[in-house]
Amino acid sequence: MEISAEVQEGLQLAGDTAHIPDKVFKYLVERVFEDIFKRPSARSLKEDGNLKSLDAAVVKQAYAALCTLALEGAKHDANSSNLSPILEDCKWTTDRTESFINIFLDRKETVRVLLGNIRQVHPHIVDVDWRLDYYMKSNHKDKVNEATYLITLKTEEGGLNRKTKDVQFCCSLEQLQDLVGKLKDATRSLEKASLS
Amino acid sequence: MEEVDNIIIHTFRQIGCDIEEDVVSLRQFSTELIIKATVRCLKIIDDSTSLPLTLPPGMSARFRMGTDLANALVSLGYKGEMGYQTFLYSNEADIRRVLMFLVEKLPKDTAVTSDEPLGKSALLSRSIAACIADQIQTPWLPPCCKKRGIRWRTPKQWNREGASGAHLYHSVAVTVPSGLDDLSRKIPKEVKSYYSKALPLVSQQPPRHEDTAASLLETNAAEVTAAQEWETEWNSVGLQSRLTQQEYKARKKERLQKKIATQLQQDVQKAEAGGVTAAGGAADLLQFLSNFSDKTPGKQQGKGSRFTHTSKLQFAQDDDKAISQMGIGEGVPKADTEEEQRQKREDEQQGLRDQLTQLTNQMDGLELDMKKFTAGIQQMEEQKNLEERSSEEKNDAYRVKKRTMDLLPDAENNIAKLQGVVESSAQRLVSLAKQWEKHRAPLIDEYRTLKEQNANKESESLKKLEDIQELRDRMKEVVDETRGKEELHKQLVSEYERMTKDVNRSAYTRRILEIVANIKKQKHEIQKVLVDTKTLQKEINHMSGKLDRTFTVTDELIFKDARKDESVRKAYKYLAALHENFDQLIKTVEDTGSIVREIRDLEDQIETESNKKTIANLQKITADYKEMKKENATLIAKVKGK
Repeated sequence: MEISAEVQEGLQLAGDTAHIPDKVFKYLVERVFEDIFKRPSARSLKEDGNLKSLDAAVVKQAYAALCTLALEGAKHDANSSNLSPILEDCKWTTDRTESFINIFLDRKETVRVLLGNIRQVHPHIVDVDWRLDYYMKSNHKDKVNEATYLITLKTEEGGLNRKTKDVQFCCSLEQLQDLVGKLKDATRSLEKASLS
Repeated sequence: MEEVDNIIIHTFRQIGCDIEEDVVSLRQFSTELIIKATVRCLKIIDDSTSLPLTLPPGMSARFRMGTDLANALVSLGYKGEMGYQTFLYSNEADIRRVLMFLVEKLPKDTAVTSDEPLGKSALLSRSIAACIADQIQTPWLPPCCKKRGIRWRTPKQWNREGASGAHLYHSVAVTVPSGLDDLSRKIPKEVKSYYSKALPLVSQQPPRHEDTAASLLETNAAEVTAAQEWETEWNSVGLQSRLTQQEYKARKKERLQKKIATQLQQDVQKAEAGGVTAAGGAADLLQFLSNFSDKTPGKQQGKGSRFTHTSKLQFAQDDDKAISQMGIGEGVPKADTEEEQRQKREDEQQGLRDQLTQLTNQMDGLELDMKKFTAGIQQMEEQKNLEERSSEEKNDAYRVKKRTMDLLPDAENNIAKLQGVVESSAQRLVSLAKQWEKHRAPLIDEYRTLKEQNANKESESLKKLEDIQELRDRMKEVVDETRGKEELHKQLVSEYERMTKDVNRSAYTRRILEIVANIKKQKHEIQKVLVDTKTLQKEINHMSGKLDRTFTVTDELIFKDARKDESVRKAYKYLAALHENFDQLIKTVEDTGSIVREIRDLEDQIETESNKKTIANLQKITADYKEMKKENATLIAKVKGK
């Protein structure tokens, strides 16, 4: 995991008790993680009670460095043995390192989920609905006793809305068996892949 | 012996013979089990054997199978007594030897768990397989139970099972204040106030909040790669140029600016001279600029610029077409005037072009003239210089002649004076030359020593640079090695934890070492006993020799006196009897000793013979012999009956 020199500068600022005193440090780290998940309501630093007493430029640089460190750490699935050398290089005291690592390990999975959202997706099937129809008569034939299946596949598309879109089709028994057979083939090849 | 049996039984269990749990020594191996195990081993060693796994029921068939097995083992190289009887009428020691031989012959792979490859791709595929297996096991959940497409199994474990929340990678340049911790660097006041007041937090800078992560990661990656590229450049080229970092950077900046300036000038000149479409010039410039930024091979850029070239040409043509279409479409009623205007414009263009060519021709002519005139000026200047020099010389010659003419009337005095002047000036020259020499020598020495020092310093600094490079390379190597070794160590530790531990090899090795130590001790003791026996034997010989000598001496002594005295004769008889009795005593002691030894040997023989189960085997053999005879009789009867 590589951190650039500018981010290291910011981390040194963040770990320096002269610039960021201890009681503000924990609040700053928590706020960093909150803001990664949600857009901070555009409160400027002046309105944030804990942070307004500090030099705003320093706070912004430390904030940016902590954000980058959190994201890089989540990207590389870092644990405390990976992070502590970096933080020690930036001259952090051990209790600040510990508290940051604790908060980081707590939230790491959610950050990884957030990073994993950056991707390109095709519609993904999550649910299926079906209906059995019995086709008794048609205009041209008097007796057509066949069963047809009306299948609705619910898919999720990318993007931030959570609605599902439907893919609907109807098929006869043989076609449905064919489909199920192909699905079973797919599961079998997955199981084979899981054994190797 | 139990360990050997354990090993043998364990190996058989591994190759597939199902031996019951309570069979722990070879004594409990029945004939059937022995045959099965042997045939399985033979199959593994050599696939082509076609021996069945069990004994056939008929006696002759059994006999044949026994001989087949024996032949197979002999062909494998077993040295020792081998025949059908080893299998059909087995005894423990022989069977142990045969089975040990077979186990050793087994190809090593089947007896040992296979080594798993340690490669990274193997590890990766294994982890992928584990993940897939895990996910296959979990049951389905409807999408409402999942939080935004994520299924949380435990607070730390999750699977992604949907597509919601996905967005493309889009990064935005973000600004971060820099240089605030280094108090020695001065940040201008305006920048500082911008940092404090106006600059928003990084998470508020990208227009869409979901781009924050992408933007921050990209800035970090860009800065890291820039630092690495600078490192490599500095290490390879910068150190050799022996400038400080700032000087090197300043020179590079100058060089690049000059290059760009010259390229732009060339392009402008080309554009003016040839009237090429602006697209071509722009494409060349783009290619030139991209030479700086990328280090990819030229083909790609060539394609890029050709593509941009063609696209730009296309757009240029489209633009022209669009303009002309607009021009046409503008006014159908005004068509005539349009045509006239176009004609006029064309005529104007033609006239202007003619003017342009005229003017350019004029300019060319004027330039030629200018060149000619400058050449003429140069020539004139040279001539002038020549003339000046010749006039100077002539002036000097004239002055000398004038002086001599003046001095001619008073010729002799003047000649003497002149000679005196000449001599004094010559002497002055000589003394000046000597002084000069005196000054010159030490200065030259100093000069030479300084030059040497300078050369030394240069070579030293070169050497030091090389040393620095070497040290850096070695450092990198060592760091890489340690990283590799740590990874290897982690892998091996995980391997070791995963390896099965059912066969306790360390116990076996410990036992073997103990046995070896015991054997050594026993050898020592045997040596000691041998030494003791030798000394004892020597003593015995010594003693018996002494005894014989004393007896002969006493015998002679007494015999001499025996003829005269009766008591002496009696003493002599007693002495002889004493000697005989003691002789007999000694002999009986020796006999008892040898008999005890024989008893021990016979006891050992009895034990080995009793282990061979000869009686049981003999009974079996007689029973089988009788059966064979019966089978033969039935077969003969069948043949006769047919």
